[in-house]
Amino acid sequence: MKNLLRHLFVALLVLAVALPFLWMAYAAFLPPELVNSGEITRFGFSLQNFRALAPEGFWWRLAYSLGVSSLATLLALLTGFPAAYALREGAPLLGLYLFLLAVPAEMMLVPLYGVLAGTHLLGSPWALIWPFAASPFVVFLLYQGLRAVPWQIVEAARIDGAGEGTILQRVLLPIMFPHLVTAGVLSFAAHWNLVLYPRVMTGEKWWTLQVWMADLVRKYPSDWGLLSAAALLGTLPLALVYLLFERKIVETFEGSLKG
Amino acid sequence: MGLAPSLLVLAVFGLYPFLEVVRFSTWDWSGLSRPHPIGLANYRELLTDPAFWHSLWVTLEFALITLPSFLALSLLVALALEGQRYERWVKGLLFLPGLVTLSAAAVSWYTLLSPEYGALQTLLYTLIPESSPLARWLVVPAWDREPFWALLLVVAFTLWRYLGYGVLVVSASLKSIPRSLLEAAWVDGATPRQALRYVTLPLLRPAVTFLLVVGTILALQSYVAVFLLTRGGPFGGTRVLGYFIYQVGFEQYRLGYAAAATIVLLLLTLLLAYAQARFMEEH
Repeated sequence: MKNLLRHLFVALLVLAVALPFLWMAYAAFLPPELVNSGEITRFGFSLQNFRALAPEGFWWRLAYSLGVSSLATLLALLTGFPAAYALREGAPLLGLYLFLLAVPAEMMLVPLYGVLAGTHLLGSPWALIWPFAASPFVVFLLYQGLRAVPWQIVEAARIDGAGEGTILQRVLLPIMFPHLVTAGVLSFAAHWNLVLYPRVMTGEKWWTLQVWMADLVRKYPSDWGLLSAAALLGTLPLALVYLLFERKIVETFEGSLKG
Repeated sequence: MGLAPSLLVLAVFGLYPFLEVVRFSTWDWSGLSRPHPIGLANYRELLTDPAFWHSLWVTLEFALITLPSFLALSLLVALALEGQRYERWVKGLLFLPGLVTLSAAAVSWYTLLSPEYGALQTLLYTLIPESSPLARWLVVPAWDREPFWALLLVVAFTLWRYLGYGVLVVSASLKSIPRSLLEAAWVDGATPRQALRYVTLPLLRPAVTFLLVVGTILALQSYVAVFLLTRGGPFGGTRVLGYFIYQVGFEQYRLGYAAAATIVLLLLTLLLAYAQARFMEEH
């Protein structure tokens, strides 16, 4: 009986969490006539919504957003890995990173805008890249991963005459691969999901998919099919990457919370 | 050496802006115009601005509803999942909302939960005819007109997004409880409920503290959901402090005033997070 209640609770939870996804996938294929007449429970299948996306400029936004977020993530990993290594080696700056970790990107809106105003960064796509080229979150996650690495390996490599660069690339990179993937996916997601930041920092021409989509809702609030098609395709890249690495991500994240 | 690039970026785009924002807060400045220093006038205006006080109140309401339900759900779900066959699978699903495209998720919620004509309401009326007495209880609340329901919508959306993180944190802590402790309790004749109450829950306290502190920071500063779902409305009922800052700074172009509000929010966050950490340590 008690177990039955437990399973029921989990089943309800799963349904509630999955419902928006299921609806998104269903509505994307609804023929517009059915949406307009309010007959969404009648079965219909149409690809019209997807075709209607191209004239709105969807594909360019998608490619552009993928590019910007990938570049920012790559830079964050490139700066974060050596930084985490230095912290693991005993650099006394962990506190600073933990403090910065507690400051979410949303909080930076006014301060960053003020600093960027007057520089040529404001209004250009670089405003979406340079401020994210170092991430305290990435550093922290990688540092937690490095703490679990038996440090004799590094010392042995050093005795064999390996330089710091070689140690990072040849010794630690293969061991840390799951952590790098996790940090990469999570920081990509964080960057991908910025909405107000790109809206404020760049002009309409350089808005990311997120901002564009928030605008689309205002433009066509009742065209559910079109909106859902955009939502579905905009979610797929991240969802696919996540599904691909899901086991690693959840395990690595959980593991880094234990320490 | 390895720290240099990372520190450089963080100093330029992380620390330096925080020093500058103090200066901005003493300016009358649109962000693009020439700044006029006006001393503490922005702060004086904040203290008498009814919109500011209202948004402070809304933020408090939001946090007071979100945090307890977030903690309770994280604990409940983590305990319910512990050791089940589907544990890993469900955790993977719970984590997904936090990663998917934010505005896509908002689109889905918006169309699904629109009052009167939304998809969920249509579905409910198809399953249960509108004329039946049961249908009266299955109405999607009018969150486009009633501030309270609008706030609950934002709370639900926030919980949906972050529950996966909460469950992972509690679950990681659950797994680090040595099995021998629980076995010892059972040998001493403790019922499963007693073991939960006197062994498991006390050992989960650090995880709960962590969630509470992080959750407070998130709750005080999350306003993207507000932008996507309600734009602060209706009647300012969901205009949390973060969204107030956005509106003042980037819709009314008063960046100096927004900077002053940012500093107030920052101090509030630090104070509350510190107080909570102290409180939880003592108890």
